Amino acid sequence: MSVRYLKAALASGEAEKLIRFVRLHLGDGDEGVGRREIDKAWIRALELLLDVPATDRDFVLTTVREKDPATLAHLFFQLHFFLVRHSGEWIHDGDL
Amino acid sequence: MTATSDAHGQLRSGLWHTINERYPGSMITKSDDVPLASVRKPLRECRLTFVSTAGVQLKGSVPFDTVHPIGDYTFRRVPSSARPADLEIHQIKFPTVGAHRDLNVIFPIERLQELVAEGALGGLTASFFTFIGYNMDPDRVERDLAVRIADAVVEDQADIALMCPA
Repeated sequence: MSVRYLKAALASGEAEKLIRFVRLHLGDGDEGVGRREIDKAWIRALELLLDVPATDRDFVLTTVREKDPATLAHLFFQLHFFLVRHSGEWIHDGDL
Repeated sequence: MTATSDAHGQLRSGLWHTINERYPGSMITKSDDVPLASVRKPLRECRLTFVSTAGVQLKGSVPFDTVHPIGDYTFRRVPSSARPADLEIHQIKFPTVGAHRDLNVIFPIERLQELVAEGALGGLTASFFTFIGYNMDPDRVERDLAVRIADAVVEDQADIALMCPA
């Protein structure tokens, strides 16, 4: 089972197995693509902040303070896909 | 087992390795077997339901969660009377270009409606049932999602089910 596989990797500290799984998910089964997609999301996030636009920091702090860690982790994945879509280069076959 | 099956009984030789390589640990071997049920009356008297992993859902309903790394274990009811224009796909793991041109290529709702209109099928359940195929916890699929869908299918009084992976 994949979840069992991931839990075993987590228990034995096999970080490479864990990050590889994430890369495969974000790259639709292609680890190299997933690596580039992660980079693309971070680059887009940086690009959006380069000119130091006004942002809703209160929303950010309130969200992080009030929401549970699992919801925030879920949001982290959602934001990844938001940023890659916002970059203008969408490699996935379908839609969110 | 067919001539093209591998040791695990997969119809496409090498598929097992490919999927396990891309989604480690996600392919499982089932040692138990659920026998197929016999059809007890003619198709023209049967009420058919449709179960699909295509991620098809009514426009405006909560989108399937395609970003979650472990998957989405919910299902949606799609009215069997719906038109393709009422529906949309939330899924990023298979090409949807063809389905956007004609949804019936992956979710043959109009073909099934036609079979009923022609009398080849007795009818359709009020709902069809859809979910997404990217689920990395097969145990949860088998013991939770599949059970809830099966219960809903029984509740809809289906005689037969068409099951179609995307």
